[in-house]
Amino acid sequence: MASITRRRSIGLPNTGAGMGGAATLLYVLFIGLPVGALLFKAGQQESFFTTLTSGPALTAMRLSLVTSAISMVVIVLVGTPFAYLLARSKSPLLRLIDTLVELPLVMPPVVAGVAMLMAFGRRGVLGAPLEDLGITLPFTTAAVIMAQVFVASPFFVRAAKLGFQSVAKDHEDISRTLGVSPWCTFWRITLPLAAPSLLTGLALSWARAVSEFGATIMFAGNLTGKTQTMPLAIMSAMETSLDTALVLSVLLVLGSLTVLAALGYFAQRHWQGEA
Amino acid sequence: MSRGWVHCRVGSFGLEAEWSIQSGEVLVLFGPSGAGKTTTLRAIAGLLQPESGHIEIGDRVVYDSASGVSIPTHRRRVGYLTQRYNLFPHLNVAKNVGYGLRDWSPAAAAERVRELIEVLRLDGLEQRRPWELSGGQQQRVALGRALAPKPEVLLLDEPFASLDMELRRIFRRELRSTLTSSHVPVMLVTHDREEALALADSIQVIDEGKRLTQGNPLDVLGQPGQERVANLVGVENLFTLAIESRNPRNGTMICVGGGLRIEVPLDSNLPNMGAEGGSEPSSDTNDYVTVGIRASDIILSTQDIQSSTARNRLLGNVTHVELVPPGYQITLNCGQDLQCQITGAALEELGIRPGMDLWAVFKASSCFLIQPPSQAELARL
Repeated sequence: MASITRRRSIGLPNTGAGMGGAATLLYVLFIGLPVGALLFKAGQQESFFTTLTSGPALTAMRLSLVTSAISMVVIVLVGTPFAYLLARSKSPLLRLIDTLVELPLVMPPVVAGVAMLMAFGRRGVLGAPLEDLGITLPFTTAAVIMAQVFVASPFFVRAAKLGFQSVAKDHEDISRTLGVSPWCTFWRITLPLAAPSLLTGLALSWARAVSEFGATIMFAGNLTGKTQTMPLAIMSAMETSLDTALVLSVLLVLGSLTVLAALGYFAQRHWQGEA
Repeated sequence: MSRGWVHCRVGSFGLEAEWSIQSGEVLVLFGPSGAGKTTTLRAIAGLLQPESGHIEIGDRVVYDSASGVSIPTHRRRVGYLTQRYNLFPHLNVAKNVGYGLRDWSPAAAAERVRELIEVLRLDGLEQRRPWELSGGQQQRVALGRALAPKPEVLLLDEPFASLDMELRRIFRRELRSTLTSSHVPVMLVTHDREEALALADSIQVIDEGKRLTQGNPLDVLGQPGQERVANLVGVENLFTLAIESRNPRNGTMICVGGGLRIEVPLDSNLPNMGAEGGSEPSSDTNDYVTVGIRASDIILSTQDIQSSTARNRLLGNVTHVELVPPGYQITLNCGQDLQCQITGAALEELGIRPGMDLWAVFKASSCFLIQPPSQAELARL
């Protein structure tokens, strides 16, 4: 009896490990094969760098970089104080707002685009008043940035909130007893301690902004040089020039890998073992 | 110097604190967890807004509810040491110590940091990060950081809680000498008797947000006058006995109850707690008293010591022997259970074990009378 029980208890983990191994292999192939195929096909091209520096690809790249950079500035400037308030306040209203922050994460981006049209579009709720002021938002570069901020900001706000929450209130209290004002305490204690989380959030947020497609095409359209960011340019190029599509895709994949590497670095840099 | 009073409310917990500390004096706030000790410190530091109160630090009024004065924490000049030290993990030892010196000239700040590093024996560790330090080193860095900007009052919240026994003894001595030389008034929170005795100039016992008593540490911890205080500071033997006869000439009286018959100080000596306790001083017509005897004040002997000055000699039977560091606690049944504290060596020499008969010997003056709980206190229970 004893020996049977023993064999079983050894057998189960083995079966589990076997299944786990198979599942892992399957999963790695499933993700790795398409990415590998993309890189392989792009590498087969003789004209990689000519295509890269050709007009349409370069224009889309420049627009993506500029718009996502501006989006990040907006997200950091508004998101940081907002996240700090969320982390420190216990008010029920802010709990509710906290939940709303996550809405863009689960909302289909296309719907976000439609929603923004309904608000800022020509026939939208704010369309007429804005037009009176001489401001037209839809189908402009500003609309691209707005779409990016809408879908990408929750990644930053969420990570920043968790970062601020991880900074012990006692650290801030001690700093104040040492004669440092609350404002300076934020800069000298809270921000440096939460920095790894903020940078992680920023990296994720940037990755999301650069890959933004649905909300942009709805709210900003697909105008070369004005609203056509890299993902939109890839879609357009698929109909005319596969080369351009492949080159842009490879660039975006490399961008994503850079973000992954940065995330790994920030995670390691947490204030436990960093010199 | 610091003095004042505050009334605070945190949820359903109410605190009524009152204190007065002279320069260079250590006032120990002693009480169980949840008594309001930390809340008092936080109110003085301005990290918690009282409902009402008046707080003086140095010669300044930093809070006064009547006139609406409330100076923010960073201008109160308090040094605050928390239980877990909370060193800033992104700064090295020197920068932690010098953190509060931003308004000083760089040269003066560097000199002050160097001075504290030397006094606290942290030389060579200046560039270390907090997680590279031992518990004791962290504690000293935290103390240095709090002392660096020359605070006008030092608030210490169980500063030894995360150290082991051995280190506690060493650091207690160190802290005492550092404090003496800094001439800063200190309020120290603890629930450790030994710590309170070693550090306090004056001790205040608080419980459930109320001050129970204040005084000299030996009096308060050694012979507490109130039953609640006696329970809090851990008096091992408390008996309620009937008064059989009074002998005013000796200043003693004989009390009996539950098989005990002991001679204790006369009850006219019962401390009058006045406004503090809120009850009338006991009169001579009381029939019952509560008597406290510390376990360490009882001598155990295998023979009856007849020719001695001790007024109380009781024969009893050992029912329990329990290891209570640093020695042993013996339970001796003399009609009622008597707890006695002895050393390991004494236990071995006398071969004490359960079932053995022993004599308990103690002086009448080792017995102290405890004021019964006042009506107000009874109502709260």
